[in-house]
Formats: sequence, structure tokens, C-alpha cells
Amino acid sequence: MKRIEEAKRKYEEIPIPNELSERVMMEVEKANERRKKVVNRRNIFLRKGTVAAAAAVFVFTAALNTSTAFAETMNDLPVIGAVARVLTFRSYEKETKDWKLSVEIPTIEMIAEDLGETQSVNEEIYNMCQQYADEAVARAEDYRQAFLDTGGTEEEWEAHNIEIKVWYEVKAQTDQYLSVAVMGTENWTSAYSETRYYNFNLRQGKQVTLEDILGENYAQTAKDSILAQMKEREETNGTQYWEDAVIEISKDTKFYINDQGNPVIVFEKYELTSGADGQQEFEITER
Amino acid sequence: MKKDLYEKIVDYILKNQNKFYRLAFSYVQNQEDALDVVQNAVCKALEHYEDLKNGDAVKTWFYRILVNESLTLLKEKKRVVLSGEEEMPEIPYEEKGFEMPDDMYAHINRLEEEVQNIIKLRFYEDMSLKEIAQIMEMNLNTVKAKLYRGLKALKVVIQEVEQ
Repeated sequence: MKRIEEAKRKYEEIPIPNELSERVMMEVEKANERRKKVVNRRNIFLRKGTVAAAAAVFVFTAALNTSTAFAETMNDLPVIGAVARVLTFRSYEKETKDWKLSVEIPTIEMIAEDLGETQSVNEEIYNMCQQYADEAVARAEDYRQAFLDTGGTEEEWEAHNIEIKVWYEVKAQTDQYLSVAVMGTENWTSAYSETRYYNFNLRQGKQVTLEDILGENYAQTAKDSILAQMKEREETNGTQYWEDAVIEISKDTKFYINDQGNPVIVFEKYELTSGADGQQEFEITER
Repeated sequence: MKKDLYEKIVDYILKNQNKFYRLAFSYVQNQEDALDVVQNAVCKALEHYEDLKNGDAVKTWFYRILVNESLTLLKEKKRVVLSGEEEMPEIPYEEKGFEMPDDMYAHINRLEEEVQNIIKLRFYEDMSLKEIAQIMEMNLNTVKAKLYRGLKALKVVIQEVEQ
């Protein structure tokens, strides 16, 4: 034990450079700055890698209102144009002094096949988008009220620049599959962000399940693949997954299809690892 | 609530920065790297302070970041330098009857990584085994087993440290 005491003494003799407190203060100040901005704008959502995506959406909405041009571009895509297309069914923006809302609702049109399931899916997408927009506006109003009730002024409120967006993204378009992500976000909180994926088999005119692609044992196949990929990421990028993270694959598991025709299973931020690592995606190549 | 947590963390960091530096230094063994490690750890902690769910766990949470940063830097260096040197043996081979090297401090630094972490946190930072278990994200028994293994390698009499 005496020896450990000696080691400890030696440890405590490690000299502290003056630079230490400067470097630490520098980080604290940087964080303070960052935080001030975040608190002012409640702009938590825009902070991370989503900045680029959000910026893209800006451009896109600006160019939009005119959705036909956009729709035509989509339609020009040769492969998808042949059998199906994604159109902006309805797009609108609303701006009050309290918040700004932009909504873009997609609709999927099958050309070769008869409507099949798309009709009901389109209705579902439409309802989901409307509902999200309505709820997000209500949340923003509640937040505003709470802000004013607790001593905030109207002016300060306006500086929040609350923005609500509902939009979509075509994840893949092959001769076999069409995969669309429909997303809703609010820039002042990421708690209600929502993404839903719609995957279609264009040859059959119906929605695709994991089972359709991976076969009967899809749950096990996907789980094995995900566990192996998690292990690999832990080793190569040092991602640390929760020790008690449970991988349960069911027919409700969220996934989209990529250009290679492989399903990509998506876990939300915080589901498997700390929020800093963001949403976790796993492409399943095994069959 | 969040505001309090943020300030609590900043407070904690400012108060304990010397400790952080020493621990980082004990891994990376030079001033520049140790400063980098502390700075990165502070940056990460303040960037992601919202991930800390339990405000009472600031200490173990921060040490976890700090230890990870130290080890990450060591790993990167190893990769970049590619010195061709063999990695340190996990537990140095000792001739029977051979006297322990005088320098216990250096000896600790040559132990297997996890064992080294545990010994440093236990003896240098006076942490409880429970806190160490949280920092290392291991269960308590694993921590104990590894601690004893390390002490054995250091030939420290175990009874003396049992608590």
C-alpha cells in the first residue's frame, strides 16, 4: 500500500500548466455563446448535421409554391417516370408573426398499375401531414403562451423565429421500388420530429414489407445483421450503444429502401445510443 | 431545469480542471496532448450536456468522457506513429524473487488499459468502486475482479484495500 501512496504522490506532483485554465475557459465561453444562440432561437433542431438538410429544404420551399415545376422534374426521372411518380399534392406556406409553417404533401401516383393500395396510402400521408402541421402549430401557440406568461415580451418571442416544416424526400427510385420519407419538424424542439417511410413495390402496386424483401425469417436476419454492424461500429468508430439496447424487428419496424434495393432499418436518435450519435441506420444486405 | 444543469456542469468543470488534467496526463504523458484531451472533453461535455439525464451524476458522466477522450487520443497516436514497437504487455513478466521496479507510478501506467483506469480512479482520484463501475459502464463485480487482478500484478496486498 505504501507503494501506491508513493505513486499517488507522484501523480499529484504532475505540474498544472497555466495554459490549462485558459483552454478550459475558452471551451466554456464557446459553449456559452452557442447556448445563447440556442436559447434565443430554441434552435436545437438545426444544430447538428441537419443543417445541410434544412438548408436544402429552404431552397426547395422557396422554389416551390410552384410545385408543378418540381413535380415535372421528378416526373422526368426516367425510371420512376415509367411506372410511378411522386408529386407534390399540396404545398402551402403560412406565416404569422408568431410562427411560420411550410407544408408539402406528397402523393404517389402509379401509372402502369391501377391504383392498388396507393389510394389509401395517399390518404394516410395526407392526413398525417395535416395532423402534424396542426399539432405543431398548437404546440407553438402553447409555447408562446408559456413564454409570455413567464415574463417574456412579444419582441423576444418574435426573435424565436419558430418554423414548422412538413416535407418529404424520395429515398430511392428503382425499377422495382419506390421509397419515400415523409417528415415533420419544428425548429424549436426535436421532441416531436417525426419521420414515416412509405415503400412500394412498383411491379405489384403494393407496399413492401421487410418480409417481402428478406423472407420469412426477416426478423432474425435483420437482427443478426444489425448486431454485427453495431459491433463493427463499436470497434471502428467507437460508437457506444446502450448496454440494454433491444433490437426487436417486427412488421412495424421503420425502414426505407435504398438505391441498391436493400432495406435500411432506422432507429431514432436515443433509441440505441446517446443523442450525439444521431439516428442509427443499418442497411441489411443479407437475405 | 436545463439551465441549472448546464451551470452545474460548468461549475464542476472549473472546480476540478486540475484533476482532469492530471488524469489525462497520466495517460498521454505529455502536456500538449493532456491539454487537448481536457479541452476536447470539456467541449463534448458542454455540447452534449442535455444527454445527461441525472444531474447528480455529473462527476461519473464527466470522467467517462474524459477517460474516453484520453484513450481515443492514445489510440489515434498509436495508429499515426506506427512505431513498429510491440504493444506493452498487459501484465509485465516478473522473475520470481525479482524486486518490483521502484517506480510504482510507471508500473501502473503499463497495466492493461481497463485495469489501469480502475486503479487510477480508485487510488489517485479516491473514487468508490461503485462510481468506477458507472464510469467504466461495467458491473461492480467486474470492476472488483479487475482491480484485484491489477493489484496482484503490482503485488499489493489486497486486504489493505478492501472496503
